[in-house]
Amino acid sequence: MAKGLLKLCYLKIIDENSQGLWEKSVFDDTYMEFFMQAQFYNQDGKYQTFQELVRHIPAAEKLHYLVSTAAINYIRQLNGQIPDITNGLGKLCLPFQHFRFEILQSHIHHKKHHKVAVYFYSEPLIWLDTIHEQLLITHLHQKEALFNDNEVITEMVHLEANLTISSFQNL
Amino acid sequence: MDRKDFLKRGLGSLAIVPFFTACKDAEDVSPDTSTTTGSTNTSNTSGSCTITATETEGPFPTKVPGSLVQNDITSDRTGTKLTVKITIQNKNNSCAALANALVDIWHCDANGNYSEYGGTGMQSTNYTSVHFLRGRQTTDANGLVTFTTIYPGWYSGRATHIHVHVYNSSGKSLLVTQIAFPEDTSKVVYAQGVYASHGQADTTNARDNVFGDGVGTEMSTITGSVSAGYVLAHTIVVSA
Repeated sequence: MAKGLLKLCYLKIIDENSQGLWEKSVFDDTYMEFFMQAQFYNQDGKYQTFQELVRHIPAAEKLHYLVSTAAINYIRQLNGQIPDITNGLGKLCLPFQHFRFEILQSHIHHKKHHKVAVYFYSEPLIWLDTIHEQLLITHLHQKEALFNDNEVITEMVHLEANLTISSFQNL
Repeated sequence: MDRKDFLKRGLGSLAIVPFFTACKDAEDVSPDTSTTTGSTNTSNTSGSCTITATETEGPFPTKVPGSLVQNDITSDRTGTKLTVKITIQNKNNSCAALANALVDIWHCDANGNYSEYGGTGMQSTNYTSVHFLRGRQTTDANGLVTFTTIYPGWYSGRATHIHVHVYNSSGKSLLVTQIAFPEDTSKVVYAQGVYASHGQADTTNARDNVFGDGVGTEMSTITGSVSAGYVLAHTIVVSA
C-alpha cells in the first residue's frame, strides 16, 4: 500500500530581503561571522567577495562550515520542525535533524550582498500516495500501525518550489 | 598559515551537520513549541480562497550567540584535560591588558583531525555534535580568556599547536597566530591514553615550517600532569 520511504529537502534562502525575525537574525549573525572568519583567508584584504576568495584560496570553502556556527543556535530554535512547509491545514509537519548550510554569496564590505542557504532534510517519511499535487505521507513511527491495517494519522504536503524529494527507499 | 595545514584544511567542502534538539545549554532551548501550532486565523466569509497559515513564522526567535561561544570546547572528544589561559596585551597601550577582544582557538583532536568535514554532496553524517575543539571567548578586564579542552594531538608534517585568531570587539582581525608546545610535555602525553596508538609527533618545533624560525613569542608555558590535567598559559601581544 505504501509506495516507499522518502526524505524531503527544503531549501530556504536568506538574504537582505528576508522578512521574519528568525531570518533577519540568521542574516545578521552569519554575515558578522563571515566578515570575521573571512579575514583568516584574506589577511592582506586582497579579495572582496566570497566567490573571489574561494576561487583564489580553495581552503576558503571551509567558510561554509565556519559560518554555519552562527546559524546553528537559530536552527535549534526551530524545535526540529522544518520551517515554512505546512500541511493542508497550514501547520508545520516535517520533522528534521539534519541540515546543510551554504554561503551563496557575500562581500566583506557590503552586507546587502550576503546571501545564504539552509537545506533542511526531513526525517524519513512513509509515502502513501499522491493526490493531485500533494504527497500523502505519514510519519515513520506509524509504520507498525500501518502494516497492522490500523488507522494512521496522515499529512498532505504540496511539493512547491524549493521543496524536493531528496531520497527514496523501498519499504 | 603554513601550506600543509592549508592543504589539509582545504579538503572540507560544504558542511552537513547533524542537528540535535537535546541541547545542553538552557539558553539554547527555544520557546514553547505551542507557538508553532497556534490557532489559524480563519475568515468569516466563505469562498474558495485559501486560509492564511499563521504558523509559518515558526517559534519566536531570540538573539543567540554562535555555537563557537563556549568555554568547554571538548565536545565528544577524549584526551588529557588541558586548560588554556590566554592573555591578550595591547602593544599600542604600553602592553596593557586588552579587554573585550574576541579570541578564537581551534586545534586537532588526539588523532590529528579537525572538526571541519561534515561530509560532501548530499550525504549526511553521523557526527554527534556540530563541532569540537573550536571556541570563542571575550577577554575580561585582565585581557584573559580561558578554555577547557584536551591536549592537542598532532598530524604529519606539523609540530603540536593551537591556532588563535584575535579580533577586536567589532570583529576586525588583530592577529592570526599559533601557540607552540614544549616537546617534553607532548612526549609524555603522546605516550599514554588515547594518544598512544597515534604515537609520537613526527615534526619537532625546530623542523616545523611555522615555528622553525623560532618560537620566541609563540611558545606556551605548561604545568600539570597527565593525571591532574595540564594548564597552558600564554600571552599574545597585538596592536589594537
